[in-house]
Amino acid sequence: MSTTPSSRNTMKDRGIVVFGAAFVLRLLLTCLFPALPDLLTGRVEVSTPVNSFKRLQEGLFLYTRNVSPYDGGVYHQAPLLLPLFALLPDAKSSPLPTAIFYFLVDLLNAYALLKISQSGQSVKSRLHTAVRQHVRWDGVSVAAWFLFNPFTIATCLARSTSVFTTSGILFAVSNAVGGNSVNAMLALGFASYLSLYPTLLFIPLVLLCYDIRAQGPNPPKIGLYVVQHAGLLLASIAGLLGLSCLITGNFWEFISATYGFHLLVPDLTPNVGLWWYFFIEMFDSFREFFLGVFWLHLASYVGGFTVRFQRQPLFVITSLLGVFAVFKPYPSISDASLFFAMLPLYRHLFPLMRYTFFAVSAILYSSLLGPAFYHLWVYAGSGNANFFYAITLVWSLGISILLADAVFAALRDEWEQQNPDQKGAEVRQV
Amino acid sequence: MTIKTGDQESPEDSTSRADPKPSVKSPPPPETPAAVQTRFRVIAAFWAVIIFLGFPIWWKTTSIYRASLPIEEMVDWAGGKPFWQACRPVFPLDIHLATPSMQSADAQHLLRTTQHTLDDLNEFAAHHLRLKLANDSASDYGEGDLGADASGEVADTALTVRLLPQENLLGPRSELHAAATQLDVFYPPNQVPAPSSWNSPLSTYIAEELQGLYGEEKATIAHILHTAGLASTSPQLAEDISRRLRRSMKYAETYHLSFSLFTPGSRPSSWDIEAAVNEYVSPLLKALSPISDFTVDTQVQLYANFAPTAPKPEFDESEAAWTLKKEDLSAFVNAAEWPLNPSIGSGPTINFILYVPEPSQSPLIVKENRASSWIVPQWGGVFLLNPTLSNDKTGESNPAHLSQDSLGPAFMTFSHQLLTLLGTPSTPASLPLRLQTSIRVRAATLLLSASSTMGSLASLTESLPSIPIPATVATSVSTTLSHLSSTCSHLREGRFGAALASARVAETEAERSFFEKSMVGQVYFPDEHKVAVYLPLLGPIGVPLVVGLLKEIKRIIAGRKAKRAAAS
Repeated sequence: MSTTPSSRNTMKDRGIVVFGAAFVLRLLLTCLFPALPDLLTGRVEVSTPVNSFKRLQEGLFLYTRNVSPYDGGVYHQAPLLLPLFALLPDAKSSPLPTAIFYFLVDLLNAYALLKISQSGQSVKSRLHTAVRQHVRWDGVSVAAWFLFNPFTIATCLARSTSVFTTSGILFAVSNAVGGNSVNAMLALGFASYLSLYPTLLFIPLVLLCYDIRAQGPNPPKIGLYVVQHAGLLLASIAGLLGLSCLITGNFWEFISATYGFHLLVPDLTPNVGLWWYFFIEMFDSFREFFLGVFWLHLASYVGGFTVRFQRQPLFVITSLLGVFAVFKPYPSISDASLFFAMLPLYRHLFPLMRYTFFAVSAILYSSLLGPAFYHLWVYAGSGNANFFYAITLVWSLGISILLADAVFAALRDEWEQQNPDQKGAEVRQV
Repeated sequence: MTIKTGDQESPEDSTSRADPKPSVKSPPPPETPAAVQTRFRVIAAFWAVIIFLGFPIWWKTTSIYRASLPIEEMVDWAGGKPFWQACRPVFPLDIHLATPSMQSADAQHLLRTTQHTLDDLNEFAAHHLRLKLANDSASDYGEGDLGADASGEVADTALTVRLLPQENLLGPRSELHAAATQLDVFYPPNQVPAPSSWNSPLSTYIAEELQGLYGEEKATIAHILHTAGLASTSPQLAEDISRRLRRSMKYAETYHLSFSLFTPGSRPSSWDIEAAVNEYVSPLLKALSPISDFTVDTQVQLYANFAPTAPKPEFDESEAAWTLKKEDLSAFVNAAEWPLNPSIGSGPTINFILYVPEPSQSPLIVKENRASSWIVPQWGGVFLLNPTLSNDKTGESNPAHLSQDSLGPAFMTFSHQLLTLLGTPSTPASLPLRLQTSIRVRAATLLLSASSTMGSLASLTESLPSIPIPATVATSVSTTLSHLSSTCSHLREGRFGAALASARVAETEAERSFFEKSMVGQVYFPDEHKVAVYLPLLGPIGVPLVVGLLKEIKRIIAGRKAKRAAAS
């Protein structure tokens, strides 16, 4: 990439415009439609039991009155969020400071994304260079895709605490591509501490860090490098848990109310995922077994993807984020928005994708019909749970197709790179 | 469907797509060994998760824990009727003979002859009376202790018979104390049996008297234990017993007594219920405490109307009273509108209703027998209270407050009804004796019920090998069995209070083990259904995994063969 100073300046200006516009758009939405944040907060597509702002308010209420926040059985989020939000003014009487805080977190996430894009890791890593490496968007466009994605805006306005997990993941990646592996592990530790599932990203992330490190002088041994970073991750999680313990006092209560809740999925409130309906229908005696199956299913992709795409670890992270958006226990549209934020980094793969139209229409179809069917089921009473579940299936199908298509395109890209003479040849399944 | 989408992105599929062939004319380049190696690793990564994490989870979460139960012992307890192999319940009743004015030798002789006559009369071996001489005649008779010394090593004294000589008597005469376990027998001094004779009017009289006292109890126990009917039991008595058993409540560890005042108008609106309960009910509940626990609650309900469909009381000129027909009494309680709690917590509720009719329908009585109270079988009792009306300027009205005195008859009736509802026998006249009988009858019932529960549990666990048996069930079963055998030994030694206490524990534990919730979850879940549980999800996931594995194995075998062929 050769950028002249003038083009760098225009990029900077564009960046300021995009970030400013995103901020103003959010501010306008909040001010013009004061009911919108609360409406979004109550939507099952946006707020799940593990990221709902309403539940955070409940926990905060108990916390500020010196009662254990987990006593009511409503709050299931990490305890460190409580002192953070206790600093902000009450969201009920003066919602703007909280809202602006969330806007800023969104902008920070976009900035991390911009950094990732600028590093160029998505097109050219240590062991792999994409065939169409010049077909790409610059960092500002990628950030704009994230900032103006309606799912991101909805998540931000609903003040879902998933945005902090998103920050943790994005900063972990941006630090990793920037060569700062220690900060990457700390950020991943923060994300894992908040939501548990980002731990699964450890292996691809540490490979990514190693790739960057190996480009420098005298690279360390990979085994030792992985162990060191695992230690770092564990230390950061342990530190955060220790802090939480100081806040809540009762260690086991907090563990079982947060991570136990993630693992055992006791709350079957509908969401856009696949777990709730399945576990409503499941025989009680098989519940534990299928919990294991679902979690293993989620985790099993880590190994396969990492082995297959060991030459582009950033793509492993991207595709795993797609898997999480579909198969994690309490998914919301914020998980999908994170996946959609990472996809534009792979602009060079788009020409190789075959089902984009189908995937995009499935996603649009479900995002429009989902709220309607939920209304029919819960409020109008003229539908039943299957209505909404069918829509969540379509939603998951849409994301899965997009993901599978991206994976296919990446494989095709690798193959073309190995067989340059076959570039553009027609694809035929055998 | 979801699973399909999940699989579409699973790397095996992707890897199989990784070597697309561009066209027929230019054959695709061969797979590099590195690509083959990668595919092998991908498949290995998935199978590693399945084998090292999946199978342990499957094993851990679906294995059924079955605590071992002492099946044989349980079956022994339930055993075949007529009687158990593990325990043959016997009811030896100790009766003390107090002979303050008799020579010791005479008394011994009288004892022997009376016992002999008793044994002759008795035809139900499980229930027999054992006479003993009261060695310290001045001490404990008179106090019906109802087996309060449950832990004592001494058998409970069922009855004390006091022999008192009295001049000017033609034959012996007896008198039963109503409030004590004591029978006074007055006899003419000349009837003391001569040492030579084996039969005397006095001993025959005492034996028959005792036989009479315990006749009903004996018949009841025989009825409960399903022994062939006693020949001496009159059809009348047998009918009485089965009727009483029908009317009485099922045994429960705790009963809730609910006293309700219902009136169609606004008065009376208060009653001296606490004093009345303390006065009339509490002593009885205290006496009944070895049998069951009781809770008491009360309510006053004003403007309580009859059900619209219920027949209205009619005025009877000859009685100068409002009357209810006997056949209409079943519709008296307006179950739909009167707030009578069907059950409070665990255990049945016994309802007692005090109904004060409105002044225009007072007095209210039952037409056929002028009664003012009746029992609703297995439910409770009703009492019609017709208080003296007070006259004021608006006309006749009920008193606003019911004093303890005016509640007296009602609560006497309620306590009598309570005894009946709990299945206390109607004879003999002495209340302590009836309560003792109750204890024995209850002990027999619970023994039978707990041991048959054990038998059912044993056959349940044997016939359904797929249900889990938690450790708590095993604990409950062993507690039940130990308490059953201690019940049995207490019975054999005549300590009925202790026997009942053990039987209560046994019954509670037996019920708990039988109705353990986690056991029944899989009762209706045959093994074939597991296919339906596993296949829809695991089938679609498993097929590509298995096919991938098979392909890899084939490739490896082919590679080996080729290598060997090349070598040879």
